[in-house]
Amino acid sequence: MIRKKRTEILIKGSEEVSTKLAQEILQAYDVKTIEASKNSLVMVKVRESAQRSLFYLGEVLITECKVMINGFLGIGMVKGHEPSLAYNLAIVDAAYNGDLPETKAWTKALLLEELHINENYEALKRQVLKTKVNFDTMDVQ
Amino acid sequence: MGYVAVKGGTLAIEESLKRLKYERLKKGAVVDCQRIESGMRCLIDQVMSESSLYNETLAALAIKQAEGSPEEAVFLMRAYRSTLPRNHYSRIVEPEDMMVERRISSSFKDIPGGQILGAANDYSHRLLDFNLSEERDEEAINWVGDYVLEGGEVNDRTDLANLPKVLDYLRENGLMSVCDNDNREPDDVTKESLQFPASRSERLQILTRGQTGAVTSLGYVALRSSGALHPTVGELRMGNLPLYVDNPFNEQNEKDDGYYIGEIKVTEVETLFPEDIQNTNGEKEIEFKLGYGLCYGQNETKAIAMSILDRCLEVGESEHAINDEEFVLLHIDSVESSGFISHLKLPHYVTFQSKLDSVRQSKKDLPQTKGNNEELQS
Repeated sequence: MIRKKRTEILIKGSEEVSTKLAQEILQAYDVKTIEASKNSLVMVKVRESAQRSLFYLGEVLITECKVMINGFLGIGMVKGHEPSLAYNLAIVDAAYNGDLPETKAWTKALLLEELHINENYEALKRQVLKTKVNFDTMDVQ
Repeated sequence: MGYVAVKGGTLAIEESLKRLKYERLKKGAVVDCQRIESGMRCLIDQVMSESSLYNETLAALAIKQAEGSPEEAVFLMRAYRSTLPRNHYSRIVEPEDMMVERRISSSFKDIPGGQILGAANDYSHRLLDFNLSEERDEEAINWVGDYVLEGGEVNDRTDLANLPKVLDYLRENGLMSVCDNDNREPDDVTKESLQFPASRSERLQILTRGQTGAVTSLGYVALRSSGALHPTVGELRMGNLPLYVDNPFNEQNEKDDGYYIGEIKVTEVETLFPEDIQNTNGEKEIEFKLGYGLCYGQNETKAIAMSILDRCLEVGESEHAINDEEFVLLHIDSVESSGFISHLKLPHYVTFQSKLDSVRQSKKDLPQTKGNNEELQS
């Protein structure tokens, strides 16, 4: 599964999923921590719509971590102070970068989690759309 | 008179800090950071926006430490931010990708996707709700549970993550000029001191991190001082924007190779200003120009005011101070303005003594009045 999609699922979804996948790798491989989880900043570059130019909106606190498995580097990056999630994300990333056989079986679990995320999104959408205004034209006497 | 270096006050400062702690704790109850994060959403949004650092947990801690003073909380956040490395820049965030939770237009009644009120104080009665003083956690949890499970058919298929922009209608009908993407790298006021004339990216960065009250007040000044200026909110939307970071070890940076790191809540405003222009035949026409506002969190008044100031600064030269970028941009930063005002509390013994000497000197030639002010000498 491509990185963009899997990081979306692992961060939007339950932390149990990334923990389970990382544990699977930790039990079977030697995982070297290259850079333990630590806080840093990401500057947000945004496009404004008046002249479609770019500007910096501000910074976001993230936690990032780097690990290595069989010579393959993995990076975990997540918004906020989330040291264990960043570590687990880095392990999963290294596993995919190294094309470890375990990753073949992960697609199903990730797609299942994506379904849960979509269900939550649909629930949120229903609540938000209840606030949509239904204009009635007033009768003219 | 020579300068005399003095020192002292260490013990007094230590005791002053104890008094500060005592004032925070004297009522015998400690404010839990999690409760600040849960119940003070708007203050947290304001502090994150003004400090230009997005993290609710740190903002809650700063608010606790600052005993609820936004300017002090922003100072703490900016100071903490300066200790962290900036390792990454996000991929370009397009606000069209917002997962919208609120979206209104005061220009058009019927807009594609509809007017979505979301969560806002605008429709409340603004009467003090005394029941809240008795509110308990259990009731809150039950209410939230019931609300989430609340039934009711919603047949609306609107995709809140792909809502068309209201102003696209005006662009499609030639009532507003269409711009191509300008991908020039933005300037960064946190890396380079501001020089005038400022670039558009610097202006927008300073406005978005400006003090909410200052930005709002100057936006109000713009409406009152610039004659017939009465913009209309083309669209105000609030929701979450996804953030992606490039793979630092892959220079190709394919679209699908990026890291998703989470989402941030923002408010975006596009404001319409009807302005006279000359067409290619030299005839006078009216065209809509756009003011732009975008800031962290749900900060609607600030975002609207930002869009007004954006337009004022874009127009530039005028007899009104509000069109002067030095006047606006140098005075709206929370840390700079509160810091400069606060410095007046610091010892100015030598400079004041010099002024005092000047006053005495100028009075020497005048007839002596009763008494003298020797006891004022320091």
